Amino acid sequence: MLEVADRPLQTDESPTTRASTPISLNAINRWVPHDIVMRDSWFPVAHNYSVTGKPVRRAIYSHPIFLWREDGVVVASEFHPNERIARDKSVYTDVKGHYPTMEHYGVVWVWFGNPQAADPVHLPSLPFLPPKGGLPKHMTATVRFESSAPISLENLIDLTHADFLHADVVGDERSDSETVETFYDSETVTMVRTLVNKSVAPVMKFFSGIRQPTQNVRQVIRIYLRSHCAIAYGQFNPGDDVPLFHPCTPETRDRTRMEMVMNTSNAGLMFRHVMPKAGYKVSRQDSYMTSPQSPRYMRHTDRKDLHSKFDQAGQRYRMAMMELAERQEKGDFAYRDNVSADCSDIIGLRKELFQF
Amino acid sequence: MSLQKDVWWAVARSEEVTSDKPLSVDIGDQPIVLWRDNHGIARALEDRCPHRRAPLSLGCIRDNGLIQCGYHGWSYDGETGRLKEIPNMKDQQKFPPVYKATAFAVSEQAGFVRVCLDPKAEAPASASPHYKYSGTANVSLRHQEYLDALYDDPSLLIAIRAVHFTPYLMSELHEQGGRLVMERSCQWKTPHWPAHFVAEFPLTLLTSTDPVSGETELTLRDDQAKELLHAVLAPVPAARGVTAVRWRAELGERHAGIRGALLRGSNPLSVLSSIDGTKLRTTKPTVSLHGEDLRAELRGATHDSSQPPVDRTVAA
Ligand code: FES
Ligand SMILES: [Fe+2]
Repeated sequence: MLEVADRPLQTDESPTTRASTPISLNAINRWVPHDIVMRDSWFPVAHNYSVTGKPVRRAIYSHPIFLWREDGVVVASEFHPNERIARDKSVYTDVKGHYPTMEHYGVVWVWFGNPQAADPVHLPSLPFLPPKGGLPKHMTATVRFESSAPISLENLIDLTHADFLHADVVGDERSDSETVETFYDSETVTMVRTLVNKSVAPVMKFFSGIRQPTQNVRQVIRIYLRSHCAIAYGQFNPGDDVPLFHPCTPETRDRTRMEMVMNTSNAGLMFRHVMPKAGYKVSRQDSYMTSPQSPRYMRHTDRKDLHSKFDQAGQRYRMAMMELAERQEKGDFAYRDNVSADCSDIIGLRKELFQF
Repeated sequence: MSLQKDVWWAVARSEEVTSDKPLSVDIGDQPIVLWRDNHGIARALEDRCPHRRAPLSLGCIRDNGLIQCGYHGWSYDGETGRLKEIPNMKDQQKFPPVYKATAFAVSEQAGFVRVCLDPKAEAPASASPHYKYSGTANVSLRHQEYLDALYDDPSLLIAIRAVHFTPYLMSELHEQGGRLVMERSCQWKTPHWPAHFVAEFPLTLLTSTDPVSGETELTLRDDQAKELLHAVLAPVPAARGVTAVRWRAELGERHAGIRGALLRGSNPLSVLSSIDGTKLRTTKPTVSLHGEDLRAELRGATHDSSQPPVDRTVAA
């Protein structure tokens, strides 16, 4: 069903709580993601191997971050150690100008928000990545987008575009059936898309040696709203299990950095090496649409975006982000749901393949 | 600038609008996508997919004449802007009327595709014939400034082969039949006396401008009133203060002798896309000084300039 009336989303599959003020469908169809700034959250800012003795520059919402190691331990500072300091320290760092920071899953995370509230319990669960890191470098990549982070994440959670925009990589839009389910709580939105007898993705034909013309596909996208990062997990039968860590770190409100990790340890040799590189191609294709799209979401418009039943998850994402933003606006930065609890069951991870 | 909604802007030449690839143009801050449907009819929609605001010009044209957005594949009908198809939506391919992109009125004649932002506008009556030579130039000059430059010194903007524009006018800019008309003396480029000391000029350039759109007809005549060249210059206010100029030209009668031969040959007109800033800055306004007022007066007489603002999120 296409919804055109002014009413909240009806598909309320959540087993958990509802937000206090439901946000109208009109509002989500006119959202201004550029205005959303999330805090009290861990943001993934670097692959751990890129942080060495020599400071590297990052940003979250334009706030400068310099990362380096002292005695092997990561320091995340507002100031470059050589900088002639001509600006005030922000409220997001301690007396020394340092942000709370931690290393986990092979990624350096920086807490942006009230430094006192930093707690590893708010770190997103990524059960397909080794907690101590150590995946080979070829499974990682850095990609940048000239679009706001929520636009990139909306792009990710709406997988119908993949058949279209990425047809050369993931295959065309033909399948016998397609179902989309959405689950959410106050901190996450998860979408599960199941395709029966889908044309086999060209990359898989070449690199996984799949002979059959079709395969069954289960794709999961799970977004951690505050951290602006996502899990993209594809299970292909016949074929491989490919979980991907897909963060969209808002370095500015409309420039996004992705420190991607794709765990292809379980895939065949060729696929294992080639698939992470496909990320470069896919991201350029996305960018082709999200770059011109993003500035069109920088200001309010009275015109509502249209949507179809395939946008259920995307609409839910917008709503959840707006609810969280509204709470933060009112000064409520508390977590109502636990993001670090193991999400293997939710994403349907084949645990036996990912033992660490 | 304020854009009158009822103006027919020549946003493309006929040959630029095809069914192979959508064409992105704009009228002021309003981006527009143009293409030709399966009946060969030129279509214009707002270059913004109402689903997730992607530019439709990044999409493609289907065999059935619909334009398909390149992002999620929604397909739209060019005449009405109505959404016709969503991929994989087998159970429902009938959509409520609000499921549409903004459609604009299109009219094609004399080798120009004209668009009017008012979808209900009446197509303009056909005027000039279809001239063979044509081109497009995007000039970083605002629309009024473009016209001002054309009046004050056409050599800032155009060149006619073998012809030199003099600063001397035979007729100042005046109103004639609702248009802005003037005539400038010209010389052949071959060795000649400086214009100031010439008794008789061999050529004149007659220009006639629509006061609203700025579309200008150029006629080059010799001293025997032979029309040697016809051209139409259609400046359209585009994004970022750029003026997108489409033009068409045709040679007319032949002027005898070597000079006449020089003008002939291939394409006799060129429309410059880059402007000499120094020359422009130091060109003192003469004709344009009262030309702007006259233009405003003529526009005011026929048009109401009040209009709703364009959605500011679209300019991007
Ligand atoms: S943005 Fe055009 S189909 Fe989605
Ligand atoms: Fe994509």
